[in-house]
Amino acid sequence: MKTNPKLIGQSVPRLDAPQKVTGQAIYTDDIKLPGMLYCKMLTSPLPHARIKRIDVSKARALPGVKDVIIGEDTPKVKYGNWRLVPESQDELPLAVDKVRFVGDEVAAVAALDPEIAEKAISLIEVEYEELPALYTVEDSIADGAPLIHEESKGNVSLVRKINYGDVDGSFASAHYVREDTFRVHAVQHAYMEPCASIAAPDEGGRVTLWTSTQTPYIVQCLLASTLGIPENHVRVMKVAVGGGFGGKMELRPWEFCCAFMALRTGRPVKFLWSRKEDLSFGRRRHGMTLYSKIAFAKDGKLIAKDFQVLLDGGAYNAMGPTATFLCGTFGNMAYRLPAYRYFGRHVYTNKPPASAMRGFGAPQAYFAMESQFSMAAEEMGFDPIDLRIINAMEEGDVIPEVATVSTCGFKESLEKVRELSGWDEKRKNRQPGHGLGISAYSFISGGVFNWFNTKYNFSAAEVRVYDDGTAHLFSMACDIGQGPDTVLRQILAADLGLSIDKVRLTAMDTAQTPKADLGSWGSRVTLMNGNAILEATKKIKEMLIPVLFAEFDLNQIQDLAFEDDHIFVKSNPKKRMSFAQAVYKALRGRRGEPLVAQGYYTPRNKGLVSPAFSFGAQVAEVTVDQDTGLVKVDKIYTAHDCGVPINKKAVEGQLEGAIQMGLGYTLSEQFVMKDGRTLNSTFLDYKVPTALDMPPSESVEVETYEPEGPFGAKEAGEGLAIPTAAAIGHAVYEATGYRCKDLPITPEKVLRGLGKLK
Amino acid sequence: MSLAHFEVHQPTSLAQALDLLSAHRADARVLCGGTDLVPKLKAGVIAIGHLISLKRVPELDHVSFSPDQGLVIGGAARLSDVAEAPGVAENYPGLAHACSVMATTQIRHMGTVAGNIANAAPSGDTAAPLLVHDAVINVVGPGGRRSIPLADFFAGPGASVLDSLEIIETITAPAPQKPCGSQYLRLSARSLVDIAAVGVAALIALDGAGRVNRCRLAMAAVAPTPRRCPEAEALLEGKTPDAGLIAAAAQALSAASCPIDDVRSSAAYRQQMVGVLARRALEHSLKLAQGGAQ
Repeated sequence: MKTNPKLIGQSVPRLDAPQKVTGQAIYTDDIKLPGMLYCKMLTSPLPHARIKRIDVSKARALPGVKDVIIGEDTPKVKYGNWRLVPESQDELPLAVDKVRFVGDEVAAVAALDPEIAEKAISLIEVEYEELPALYTVEDSIADGAPLIHEESKGNVSLVRKINYGDVDGSFASAHYVREDTFRVHAVQHAYMEPCASIAAPDEGGRVTLWTSTQTPYIVQCLLASTLGIPENHVRVMKVAVGGGFGGKMELRPWEFCCAFMALRTGRPVKFLWSRKEDLSFGRRRHGMTLYSKIAFAKDGKLIAKDFQVLLDGGAYNAMGPTATFLCGTFGNMAYRLPAYRYFGRHVYTNKPPASAMRGFGAPQAYFAMESQFSMAAEEMGFDPIDLRIINAMEEGDVIPEVATVSTCGFKESLEKVRELSGWDEKRKNRQPGHGLGISAYSFISGGVFNWFNTKYNFSAAEVRVYDDGTAHLFSMACDIGQGPDTVLRQILAADLGLSIDKVRLTAMDTAQTPKADLGSWGSRVTLMNGNAILEATKKIKEMLIPVLFAEFDLNQIQDLAFEDDHIFVKSNPKKRMSFAQAVYKALRGRRGEPLVAQGYYTPRNKGLVSPAFSFGAQVAEVTVDQDTGLVKVDKIYTAHDCGVPINKKAVEGQLEGAIQMGLGYTLSEQFVMKDGRTLNSTFLDYKVPTALDMPPSESVEVETYEPEGPFGAKEAGEGLAIPTAAAIGHAVYEATGYRCKDLPITPEKVLRGLGKLK
Repeated sequence: MSLAHFEVHQPTSLAQALDLLSAHRADARVLCGGTDLVPKLKAGVIAIGHLISLKRVPELDHVSFSPDQGLVIGGAARLSDVAEAPGVAENYPGLAHACSVMATTQIRHMGTVAGNIANAAPSGDTAAPLLVHDAVINVVGPGGRRSIPLADFFAGPGASVLDSLEIIETITAPAPQKPCGSQYLRLSARSLVDIAAVGVAALIALDGAGRVNRCRLAMAAVAPTPRRCPEAEALLEGKTPDAGLIAAAAQALSAASCPIDDVRSSAAYRQQMVGVLARRALEHSLKLAQGGAQ
């Protein structure tokens, strides 16, 4: 393993933490601009309807109302994140002919205060012709079902197929075959900051947007195209973002409406969603129906898999196409699989659009795969961990048509979690109502497939160094709470040997930071932006190295070290110069030209999916109350390979947060819907686990050194959110004999599964 | 939505508070913790011009227990005050439990027991444990004072017999007759920081021969109001308790519940859980009572 600078692997406290905990951090809703107007939006009360007539005259006449817009007033340019496939771009900022879910935006108002805007919204008259609505994927693909989008026959907007190896032949000759259908539900990100935007007009028809997003560059491009103005007339600005988890990675209607009305009125326009609106209409994780047939040889080797998935996409594509692709990819990650067939369909329904959410198709795909591994292990007489080890990927393995796995600590993770959880001992001494379950995962470190069709590199960094001993990083990467503002500075400081407080950061400003960055999703930021930074710091070092060679008259064979705000000769540390002094001398030598360098990263020759893969395994220990069906998670044990952790505390934070989300997904969170309406749109009834619900947790990191990652790092963000559902599901089975194939595992399902609920 | 405009009054005596309430009548509400009222104001469910705060009324801010007086909870006593007051955990463990696990830490430091009762939510957590202790709601209004047994207080979901010009002055409960045991159990999807989907309280007092001379069973969130169930109680009273009798009483309580299907639970599950919780609460109460007799 390579030796890293000492700042790598340290638990550097989050640099943004003091501002956030003292309330000084500026979130979008904190911004107030002179002359600012307040935007409210009218949304469809119907799940599926044709718009016959809209009358905004009364709203427009209300004193204090400065603008009212409907779809017909806008350029009507469709948008969507998959620019590579223009026909997948199926959204308009405001509905024109049809509304397709309860919450579909129909009109927007800008007024002097929120109350007037709200009143104006209530004065807009819309005449609808209600259309039959579809709420399940099965109904949507049925023959003769009404079409939600005319162009998508059978209500399927995208199909993804993977096929390699002799799947049918393997099933025919297999020792053991099982097939199951799993149903998983939609859940929400429940980010702490509801969606918010503020747009201000700028000279020359330009517009500046502060918005709660995890993809400023995508918002910039799509906002420009929907407004019909040049890309660089839109500036998306840095602001503190209170979480995203995949729910804030697209252009959203209010971003368009604020900008459009700001340009029309010449005044800033602000929009803020309430929690109730966010829970009712916001993006969700895809509910899915997953049919999976797997075959094993007698020695426990997995030999074939047939995986057919229907994704409940809701009314628009959003990030659904990516989820459809990735669900198929995750269907054969982690384990060696010689024959695989995947058929994934993204299906429209008249519900709020599903989109990306932490894990991006993986929590669903692995719930199916891992549940089946545990079932197969039991029926074939294997220990569930042994069966996984038999099939686990190893370093150098190739995922057909996808990637080569350059580092893989999967088997070690499985062994470590076995030891950590006391697996063997506890399984020997089983207690009634008590169970242990295992699940594993593999995840990506950023995506390769360029669905946004960016013309720039995937990540970029600019580094400037000064003779006061400081450095300044410019990066479009956005910290949405996950910590890159700290980790990226750590990478820069480590490579230049600076103390971290010497590094300033300007982030997430599309007008000032180098082009471009695809955003915070797919666990890509540390690896991709880290690599871009290291390319830039390498160039900076090349500007400084000549200074020391000249100063100390060094032999060609000498090498320099950058540490403790100094640069020195490795073989003779007494020959040293402060970083500040070196920059000063270099600046003189360059006759005043500042020391500035850019670095870029785009994964190349890395297959179509990801430059690097993380692995891990988790054991859940549960106690099930046999009379009430309540599942109590006693403890979670995790062992995972995230390469070299850059910031240990940040990795721990990701793990804790992942367990919290995994608990909610598995046990308590679900949307109760009737006729396309969400009935539980408060945190009282949409039950996100709280700090008090968190079980104790133990974890161990299996370190590998990923050659493609900065200082050996790879993904540590989303992967950990994957295994919890199947681990708890397996543990509940061990405790009760009830095998859950349809999340969430509610007390009622447990009791019914035990035959105890009439 | 943002809050509508209203005036806040901060009387410093009970008399002032009553005068203000009479002066503004239907356009006023009493505010103490505000943990139920303020969300309703924000949501526009309630629109009023005057809020009369009881936070500065010293006569209402107390909680005490003595063997003679029993439990006396002032109208402004906060949930956390009651949970921690001397004598409460020992003599009214169900109430202490309710006051220390319901809602959230922040809400328990703001909200009051009287407010929880006056709000009259079917799922109110303090009601069932107070019902098994034969609590009485003592109110004061323009016409003077009156005492209402808690069992007669609720009139339906969100409704009670409290007049809009009256204020809850105290909630009282007699000191439990020894040996005695009681418990309140609640069930919800989250273990904590959650509203109860089912709540059951039980109390068993024994005579010298080990027979049940008093049984109380009450339930919450499974009927239009929190309520007792005399039919179920009668199955144990006067008898030497055993598993069969406890199961029968629990079954009777379950049968007397009439829960609804809602976003929190199905009616069938709730009804069955009433029986489970009742059996557990009775078993635990009996154990406590028997332990106390030794």
